[in-house]
Amino acid sequence: MAAKKLRRAQLSQEMCERLSRYQITTCQDFLCLSLLELMKVTGQSYYEVQKLLCKVSRACAPKMQTAYEMKLRKSVNPSSAFLSTTLHSLDRVLHGGVPCGSLTEITSPPGCGKTQFCIMVSVLATLPVSMGGLDGAVMYIDTESAFSAERLIEIAANRFPTYFDSDEKLFCMTRSIHLYRELTCCSVLKRIMSLEEEIISKKVKLIIIDSVASVVRKEFDTKIQGNLAERSNFLTRGASVLKYLAEEFSIPVILTNQITTSLSSGPAIQADLVSPADDLSLSE
Amino acid sequence: MQREVGTLPLAPALRARLAAAGFQTAQELLDTGPCGLSKEIGISREEALEALQVVRQECHGDAARTAGASGATRRCTALELLEEEQTQGFIITFCSALDNILGGGVQLTKITEICGAPGVGKTQLCMQLAVDVQIPECFGGVAGEAVFIDTEGSFMVDRVVDIAAACVQHCHLIAEAQQEEDHRKALETFSLENILSHIYYFRCRDYIELLAQVYLLPEFLSEHSKVRLVVIDGIAFPFRHDFEDLSLRTRLLNGLAQQLIIIANDHKSAVVLTNQMTTRIGQSQSTLVPALGESWGHAATVRLIFHWDNSQRLATLYKSPSQKESTIAYHITSHGFRDVQPPAVTHSAEGTEVNPRKRPRTEEEKQ
Repeated sequence: MAAKKLRRAQLSQEMCERLSRYQITTCQDFLCLSLLELMKVTGQSYYEVQKLLCKVSRACAPKMQTAYEMKLRKSVNPSSAFLSTTLHSLDRVLHGGVPCGSLTEITSPPGCGKTQFCIMVSVLATLPVSMGGLDGAVMYIDTESAFSAERLIEIAANRFPTYFDSDEKLFCMTRSIHLYRELTCCSVLKRIMSLEEEIISKKVKLIIIDSVASVVRKEFDTKIQGNLAERSNFLTRGASVLKYLAEEFSIPVILTNQITTSLSSGPAIQADLVSPADDLSLSE
Repeated sequence: MQREVGTLPLAPALRARLAAAGFQTAQELLDTGPCGLSKEIGISREEALEALQVVRQECHGDAARTAGASGATRRCTALELLEEEQTQGFIITFCSALDNILGGGVQLTKITEICGAPGVGKTQLCMQLAVDVQIPECFGGVAGEAVFIDTEGSFMVDRVVDIAAACVQHCHLIAEAQQEEDHRKALETFSLENILSHIYYFRCRDYIELLAQVYLLPEFLSEHSKVRLVVIDGIAFPFRHDFEDLSLRTRLLNGLAQQLIIIANDHKSAVVLTNQMTTRIGQSQSTLVPALGESWGHAATVRLIFHWDNSQRLATLYKSPSQKESTIAYHITSHGFRDVQPPAVTHSAEGTEVNPRKRPRTEEEKQ
């Protein structure tokens, strides 16, 4: 939306040409300027510039929907609102299962079963809708090289023996789980950015990132100055792209995190390592 | 009328030409007339006419201002302001302790900022307010509509349905207890569908969409004149990444704050913003402070900070021009934002409704 070129925002040809002489070609460049700067650059009066601003804003602004329309849309398709985890008490607490359209974070000390849970949910996502699955492919981004294909087949065969009765069915399931091994923050971010096209072409219905914490902790040592800001930049950028994908395609996104120590002496200091709220407050 | 030509909101090129031709005051321009003007500075008659219309509009506005009528700047006595403030409604939060420390609830025409760590209840309060602003006047509400601008994607319709259902239930109980005609009539329009239809939701994915939406808000609010609450959930999120140039960020945030103040005043609505917390590394320890820096702290009139104390949620009134700084505890129940214990003074209707408020915190935690 931000990179939308001004000529698609219904501005006149000559206005666009005039603005491009000042290197203002996208809506982002236009909206970041103050009113006086815009007057100078467009050569228009104050009121004209306000009208131009409204035109450009209309090209960028999101569409309005009432809460009622959102509710109606959800109730039209209730089964696609959650991915059931088949653990009844967990589903009950989550009001149906892992919600579609938002990010879910699973966190625990090492060895509690995060990766096992992710593997199981991958199997569930490939099941047909009649069995509680999403009948789609899975994008599995593995940063710890903890994914085991043998374990995947073991879980599938033992959990749903009646469904996976033939090797054919098992291979079909494994073909729809796409595994990507990424070992640096940069490659994880690049992979997340490239997900949009893959989701459409491969009919992906679940994204799993296991785990976000391991790459971040490896690369960003928070004691070095400036790293905290870099880290939070990386995390918020990744988070906003993932949120966009989750909402746009109405699919669940599962992230795993690790546990760290919270030092609580004096005022609340939450040293939760992968919280995007951690940011060096930059002086102005 | 003696206004200098350089201060008029004309196009810069035109202003330069007028200055070069020797025009100094607006009166001179008006005296010359469009034909004379076009001949002297070499522009077409239509352009000259347009310029004169702008000048006339400005001078008229100036005259109205000096006469004390309503214009771009308002002038009134403190007594008039007092009367206005006293008749103005508040948007209640259903947590009477919070309403008390705020002086009655969230004030209209002011910007209220809610800061807090993730998960402490900021979005819950925003959703509660979006429902509470619609409470009819006979029940003590402002009977308005709500605009919800979401930048983080944390708005859950199902949760709003729960909160709205509890609110309608509460009003029904009051109506039953007091048996007044206007209560019954108001309840006919105060239904779940109506509440949901009057929450206008915008999902802004980055800061450009947020800026664009705020530019378009005045137009939207004049079309929907019953809006009394604008919520921006997550003003910090879009501004915390992809900003190498921090001075640009400060400038954009200041511009945003000014526009929101104008919107709050012109349309008599409350503006509620939620902010994140960030860590400030001090000499020996680090503290959690609201994000977006020191200068952003001046934008909001009222600042609330939500935080945890072991497992109890607390709200601190950090900045307010009229109330003193204090901390209270609150709960998030399945019905929404509530007190920790029921209030001391209860009127008869709350006898039956008191159960949701009295539900102890431990039951929720076990779930």
